[in-house]
Amino acid sequence: MDVRLQIAMVFHLDKCIGCHTCSIACKNVWTDRKGAEYMWWNNVETKPGTGYPTAWEDQSKYKGGWETNGGEPQLKMGRRSLRVLNIFHNPDMPRMDDYYEPWTYKYEDLFNAPEGADQPTARPISMVTNKPIDIKAGPNWDDDLSGSPVYAANDPNLEALTPEQREELFDIERLVFFYLPRICNHCLNACCVAACPSGAIYKRGEDGIVLINQERCRGWRMCVTACPYKKTFYNWSTGKSEKCILCFPRLETGQAPACFHSCVGRIRYLGGLLYDADRIVEAMSVPDDQLVDAQREMILDPFDPEVRAAALRNGIDERTLEACERSPVYKYVKEWKLALPLHAEFRTLPMLFYVPPLLPVMAKTDAGVYDSSNEELFSPIEKARLPMEYLARLFSAGNIDPVRLALKKQYAIRLFKRMETVGDMDPLVVKQALAEVGCSEAEAEQIYRLTSLPTVDDRYVIPPMHREEAMQMLNDDVLADKGEAGFGFREAPVRGA
Amino acid sequence: MRIGIPHSLSSALIRIAMMVGVLFAIVSAAQAQSVAEGQALFGSKCYSCHNIGSGDKQGPDLKGVTTRRTKDWLHEFINGPATANSKGDPVATQLFKKFSPTVMPDQALTPDQIDSILAMITDLTNKNQVYVPAGAKLSRAIVPVDVNGGWQFFTGRARLQNGGTACISCHSIKGVGMFGGGTLGPDLTGVNIKYRDPELISILQNPNFPTMSTVFGTHHLNDEEIVQLFALFQSARLANPMPPNQAGITTLDPRFFVIGVASMLLVLALLNLAWRNRLRGVREELVRRATQ
Repeated sequence: MDVRLQIAMVFHLDKCIGCHTCSIACKNVWTDRKGAEYMWWNNVETKPGTGYPTAWEDQSKYKGGWETNGGEPQLKMGRRSLRVLNIFHNPDMPRMDDYYEPWTYKYEDLFNAPEGADQPTARPISMVTNKPIDIKAGPNWDDDLSGSPVYAANDPNLEALTPEQREELFDIERLVFFYLPRICNHCLNACCVAACPSGAIYKRGEDGIVLINQERCRGWRMCVTACPYKKTFYNWSTGKSEKCILCFPRLETGQAPACFHSCVGRIRYLGGLLYDADRIVEAMSVPDDQLVDAQREMILDPFDPEVRAAALRNGIDERTLEACERSPVYKYVKEWKLALPLHAEFRTLPMLFYVPPLLPVMAKTDAGVYDSSNEELFSPIEKARLPMEYLARLFSAGNIDPVRLALKKQYAIRLFKRMETVGDMDPLVVKQALAEVGCSEAEAEQIYRLTSLPTVDDRYVIPPMHREEAMQMLNDDVLADKGEAGFGFREAPVRGA
Repeated sequence: MRIGIPHSLSSALIRIAMMVGVLFAIVSAAQAQSVAEGQALFGSKCYSCHNIGSGDKQGPDLKGVTTRRTKDWLHEFINGPATANSKGDPVATQLFKKFSPTVMPDQALTPDQIDSILAMITDLTNKNQVYVPAGAKLSRAIVPVDVNGGWQFFTGRARLQNGGTACISCHSIKGVGMFGGGTLGPDLTGVNIKYRDPELISILQNPNFPTMSTVFGTHHLNDEEIVQLFALFQSARLANPMPPNQAGITTLDPRFFVIGVASMLLVLALLNLAWRNRLRGVREELVRRATQ
């Protein structure tokens, strides 16, 4: 048993209101720079939809992730020898148009334009070329655009549905969508790390954050192709690739990452997970329908004395283990089985988990009257407007069981709390609903509390980072890094540096 | 009694006269020797670029230079032409401008050697003669087969005996092939029009141009090689009576351009074939299909 620590995350989609505050917070802190204008380390997508970059989930085009044709997992982008042949021309990359051409407006024209017959306007200009552009797409171009024949209809996940289901989904009265905020998953077996020819990408041993060393990166852009989530980006100004750093300078000082910190819906949870690094290859090699379970299996119980002993042997601090015991991520993922990885079939073992959304209450208009009445108070999840097959395709590699369990559990808890607070539910029905998902009343109460009433300290249980110990492990001279903080750039991030 | 010069006096006069005669003989002999040395030095060091009395070449004709300039100026200039130029000497600046881009290299000559060259120039100027190098003659008469031999040496198919570099490394000449020869030095098609026969032979014997002197300084051409290369240049002149005689301009075969463009298109086509399955954008295709 090789116990390691991972800073893991849970996004509770039932609470996401799609306000993009997280994206703006991240943009302001990290990517408001030349060459990074088009990057959204954090973005929020409308589902069904094609997302950012367009149709990123379609690996038949983008060639990201791992595949296991014939056993040994290998990168979908090709064997090492093939990648070397393509090193000067990587053929499987999103074009700028697939992200979008970043733009701003020529605001000064509003003030400086010569007097004329018409009102002056602020023309959009490209932030790459500084020339006027015709805006064709943006990073959330299909925001709230469920039913769009261009974007929503081309969601790769709709393949899981029957033609009838698809037709219903685009029926004007049944249109439905939810939001999917995405950041780097800081995967356990990250494709970007495996694909990098320069060895510039690494997973921090102490907390599992995946980083690109800006001094070693040579801009081959193999990571851009390899990452199935398209969360590594090429900076055309510095000539190097960049990605989400999980705000590690904030984490190291005990603060939640900027996108977590700013989340108005309080949908984000962050905490430590212990996992068994010896079982990574095993967990990523199982058939698709077992992937979610296999990934849960390799996450270890921080209360288990054996695990704790092995963790201490690996240099994980006692106080870090205490933080892991209180980790909301461990509860959502392992104990309650509510949170699921996004696209487990990419086999990167992502460490960002999503609680699938209990979709909006069933409603219809009847002769122009909006009708939300139902025989039962909450419409049963089987009748949800968004088919469960769709959610299964997103969150459990096509296996419906984990998604159904997560939805039914949330549903049972709603019934339970309705019974407690309003008292108009039949206790027998509630008991049966809870029993069906194997949830005790105490657990239901806990889930309710962590979902609806969590404090900042409940949501973000950041293990103490022990930077001083980490630096001692790296450097013989313990005083070498005293007084330093942050990125540690020794030169300005410019092209050719 | 006749009035005469006292014997002692007359004998003294004779002695003086004799001494003057001897001195004069010594001086003139020394002068003649100096002129001869100057002839030889001029042939090996200067003649590649300078004439005396038969016009400008790479550098100016030096006839009468000893009367136009002072001795000190000449010494200083010959020792370090570039220095004279950079010091802003007006005459030097004008000369450099006139013969640009050719720059006279600094000469490793002793003051005595410079004097002997100047003496020779004064001598020729006074006699109004033209400098003809004594040694600038072919060792034998040219026969037609020599042209072929010249080609062998020019293109490097035959090695130069003393290890010199084949001409094609730096020079081109009409008929050398489609891709031409080197372009560092001038095209040699019209070299026998630019230089008269003894001049060209002298250059072959002693190439004193800045670049060539370093390349051939210790790798002189032998007599047989000179004959054959001379035959080649002569035949080039005969075959192309009106070749371009501007230094450094090489005429390009138009086929060269065509082949270049064709090869580039071929390489691009191959690259396109090798990467035919590359990702050509996703969003545009979605929009195109949805809005058709």
